[in-house]
Amino acid sequence: MNKRMAPYYWMTVPAVVLFFVFMTLPAIQGIYYSFTNYNGFGKQYDFVGFKNYFNLFRDDNVGNAYWFTFKFAIVVTILTNILSLLIALGLNAKIKFRNFFRGIYFLPNILSVLIVGYIFNYLFSNVFPIWGQNLGINALSTNILGSESLAWIGIVIVAVWQSVALNTILYLAGLQTISPTLYEASSIDGAGKWREFWSITFPLIAPFFTINMVLAMKNSLMVFDQIVALTNGGPGRATQSISHLIYTGGFEGGEYAYQSANSVIYFIVIAVISILQIRFLQRREMDL
Amino acid sequence: MMAVLLSSCTSRDSANGKVQIEFFQNKPEAKATFDDLIQTFNAAHADIQVTQVNPPDAETVLKTRVVKNDIPDIMAMGATDTYSTLAQSDIFTDLTDSSLVQTIDPNYIQMLKDVTGMDEVTGIPYATNANGIMYNKTLFNEMGLDVPKTWDELIATAQQIKDAGKIPFYFTYKDDWQTNLPFNALGPNLVGIDFYLERRENKVTFKEKYREVAEKQLELMKYGHSDNFGKAYSDGNRAFANGEAFMYIQGTWAIPEIRKANPNVDIGFFPFPTGNDASQIKLVNGIDSLFTIAADTPNRAQAEEFIAFLLEPENIGRYIDEQTLFSAVEGVKQDDPAVQELMPYIEQGKVIDFADHYIPAAVQLNSIVQSFLQNQNIDNYLDTLDKEWDKVANRR
Repeated sequence: MNKRMAPYYWMTVPAVVLFFVFMTLPAIQGIYYSFTNYNGFGKQYDFVGFKNYFNLFRDDNVGNAYWFTFKFAIVVTILTNILSLLIALGLNAKIKFRNFFRGIYFLPNILSVLIVGYIFNYLFSNVFPIWGQNLGINALSTNILGSESLAWIGIVIVAVWQSVALNTILYLAGLQTISPTLYEASSIDGAGKWREFWSITFPLIAPFFTINMVLAMKNSLMVFDQIVALTNGGPGRATQSISHLIYTGGFEGGEYAYQSANSVIYFIVIAVISILQIRFLQRREMDL
Repeated sequence: MMAVLLSSCTSRDSANGKVQIEFFQNKPEAKATFDDLIQTFNAAHADIQVTQVNPPDAETVLKTRVVKNDIPDIMAMGATDTYSTLAQSDIFTDLTDSSLVQTIDPNYIQMLKDVTGMDEVTGIPYATNANGIMYNKTLFNEMGLDVPKTWDELIATAQQIKDAGKIPFYFTYKDDWQTNLPFNALGPNLVGIDFYLERRENKVTFKEKYREVAEKQLELMKYGHSDNFGKAYSDGNRAFANGEAFMYIQGTWAIPEIRKANPNVDIGFFPFPTGNDASQIKLVNGIDSLFTIAADTPNRAQAEEFIAFLLEPENIGRYIDEQTLFSAVEGVKQDDPAVQELMPYIEQGKVIDFADHYIPAAVQLNSIVQSFLQNQNIDNYLDTLDKEWDKVANRR
């Protein structure tokens, strides 16, 4: 081995081993169990072939969880990106207390999702309804998390509130890569702020837009903590996401193998979506 | 990764020559009481050392340890579906002929056999809880109300309270497990526990038998507060403690929590009047904690000795006082004034088990009931129960 390369191997090989032992091996194990009827703790199990996979497609709880998760992920991804881009533009401008505001907006990312969830849970059940009653607004006078049709909005609010922080930082980093001379030139040419945004700012942060879209989508497809803290999947199964279904069915319901099959499919779905998203959005970058 | 972490902190070496007994239990509320009892036991036994293990989310931890074949010597848990599946996996010692069984109320032994569907006794019932209707004695006295003995009286009482502009029941249906409390009282009384034994064999359906249960549960919803699905268990304990509602469909386990919020509240408790023949009504009374011994432990004798110690009237008496539970050992009484109205039922054996102990966890009864109470469609609800049951049975 080349002596100069040795330190690089010292860095890479342990990481690969750790990754394999803690990530790849359990994943392969999960795929193995998805072909059995293992309940997660018994001593015996049998091979059942693709039975779990067939059952998955006939299980409307699974369909329901996919529907909720996708609806949720799309709304959260769009709202997060719009809001965080707006906030990043504001924070990039020459305003007073700029660093103070940057700190404030980043705060939600530091707090644990579960803690944020429990705080909002309290607000939704005890604080907002009282405001609603005092203001005479009927829709707000009960806890929206207790309603089958509205609970998902509550989760969207919390998820967006929290994920905006990270995406704002990424957009801010993108905005700072843009050379000020471009803006000077455009203002000499007489371009308005709106034109400036669409012709200079937005195209130049395209790579950051791509990464933010993919990250926000992936994170919200895997939504779990917020749901545990806010509704635990309820009322009924109205806000049960796929990962929540896998957890409750697999560990609490003792259907380890069945939910392993569900997670295999879920893994494929997320991977395919992320790849498609990157392809599509990167092509957009190159066109510029 | 979980497995690696767990094994490193649960090694059981007998370094000091004593027999090490690991006592694993799932009730965080009971940790301090057990700690004291264990200390007394260890002091009296020079050759045995019992250690308590009470991790958070104990049932899941226990399941992972069973996978690794690292089974604690003694395990305490409720007589739930988890107990039933573990018992069927043959990881517990058969205690049918053990002397430990002799002091236990035979009703509870039968309950265990029904839950597991096995003839062997693999668990020693210890403490039991009850599900019924809690009421605020002060508020009842102010309005001159009597404790309802039948379903019609219950509804009449609720109507009277509602007419006075007060809240009859404080529902806490944001937590889905709270929605199954009326289900657990109505089902076993109106339909019986045998239903579940027949349901397992596909001889009967929810659709045929559970309509009345569903209707009565819906009827109760008329007497709640303005935000029945917006309040959780902890909100309800606080509200009931502060006299916001007259009645609270709840288990005895909530009493210590309610007293924490308001030590002066005067609580009463009556069995759920599910029908109109008061003499037929049974108290829903399930096993809160039972003890099992690992099948492959080399220390069975010592483990039995420790369980025998816990079953001594003095020790179990202390346990049920501190936890507001009832004793599974015959002749040990619960003196707490809040639950005195329930004692005759327990003494006469007019008790019946929780329905959800017989429903596989994967069916997710709680979320089905919660969903039903929201959309109030009885046909749809009963269909879902049958369909989910069949799906789960088919996957096993």
